[in-house]
Amino acid sequence: MASLPKRIIKETERLVSDPVPGITAIPHEDNLRYFEVTIEGPEQSPYENGVFGLELFLPDDYPMEAPKVRFLTKIYHPNIDRLGRICLDVLKTNWSPALQIRTVLLSVQALLASPNPNDPLANDVAEDWLQHEDAAIAKAREWTKLYATRQ
Amino acid sequence: MQLEFTRVYPVFSWSWDIRGDDQAAKENEGQEHQHQHQHHKEDQQEEEELCGICRVSYNGTCPSCKFPGDDCPLVVGECNHNFHVHCIQQWLDTATAKGLCPMCRQPFSLKRGVAINECQMDRLAKLLIQSQPSGLSDDQDMMMEQEFVVR
Repeated sequence: MASLPKRIIKETERLVSDPVPGITAIPHEDNLRYFEVTIEGPEQSPYENGVFGLELFLPDDYPMEAPKVRFLTKIYHPNIDRLGRICLDVLKTNWSPALQIRTVLLSVQALLASPNPNDPLANDVAEDWLQHEDAAIAKAREWTKLYATRQ
Repeated sequence: MQLEFTRVYPVFSWSWDIRGDDQAAKENEGQEHQHQHQHHKEDQQEEEELCGICRVSYNGTCPSCKFPGDDCPLVVGECNHNFHVHCIQQWLDTATAKGLCPMCRQPFSLKRGVAINECQMDRLAKLLIQSQPSGLSDDQDMMMEQEFVVR
C-alpha cells in the first residue's frame, strides 16, 4: 500500500488534538485508514444518552472518494438499515473533497438529531416512523437503552 | 576594519502571487497578476492558505508531486477558489464531481486574465476532453469543454 497521504495524517492529528464534542475517531494500529468511531446521541433526540459505535474507512482514492461509514451499534433509524449502512447525501452523490472526516461525522450526528423518513433506507422503520411517529420514537429510545448504553 | 568574505550562500524564496480565497473575493478586478514574485513579509500570513483538496499549502505540492512551483502549478477558479492543478483535475475526473468546485459547488472554470491560469488552459482542456465520461453525447462534450476554458 502506498504511504499515507499528508492530508490523512493531518486530519488524524487534529481529530486527536482537537476532537469534535461527542465524537471520537481513533485510527486502527494496523491500518491507519480504518477508524473506530463513537458518536454520542444528540440531546433531545431518541438517541440521547446513547453511545453509538461506527467504523470509518478511507478508500485509496480519498479525498476524491467519500469515506465509507457504517454503524456497528444496532440503531432504530429510518435512514440507517439493519447492516448499519447510512443514507446520507454527503457520503454518496454530494461528496466533495472539501469535506473531511470530522465534517462527515458531524453530518452523521446531525442525521441522528433529525431522522428523515421521507428518504428512507430502512423501509420498514421509515413506514413505522411515518405512520406511528410516537411509537417509533419510543422504540428508538428503547433500542438506544438496550444496545447503545455506555458500559 | 577589513572584512573578507570567504563564502556566500545565496538563499532565495518564492511564493505564488495569489490572493487568499477570502481576499480575492473582496478584491477589485482588473489587477495585474504576476507569475511568481519575491517573498514579502506581508505575505507570510498567506502562507497558511491551503489547497482545499489536498490541504497542503498553495506553495507546496499536490500529493503526487515532489517539486513545488512550475512542476505543480496552481489554478484560480472563476469562483476565486484556488487549487493545485493536479488536485482539481483529479477531482473533475470523478463522476461525483459533476464539474463542480469542491468548495462552493458552482460549475468550476478557470478565471480569465490570470497569468497562472493562461499556462494551464490548453493542458486542462486537453486533459478534460480525454477524461470525459463516455456516456456523454458530443454536444455535451463541447459544452463542458467550452465552459471550462472560456467563461
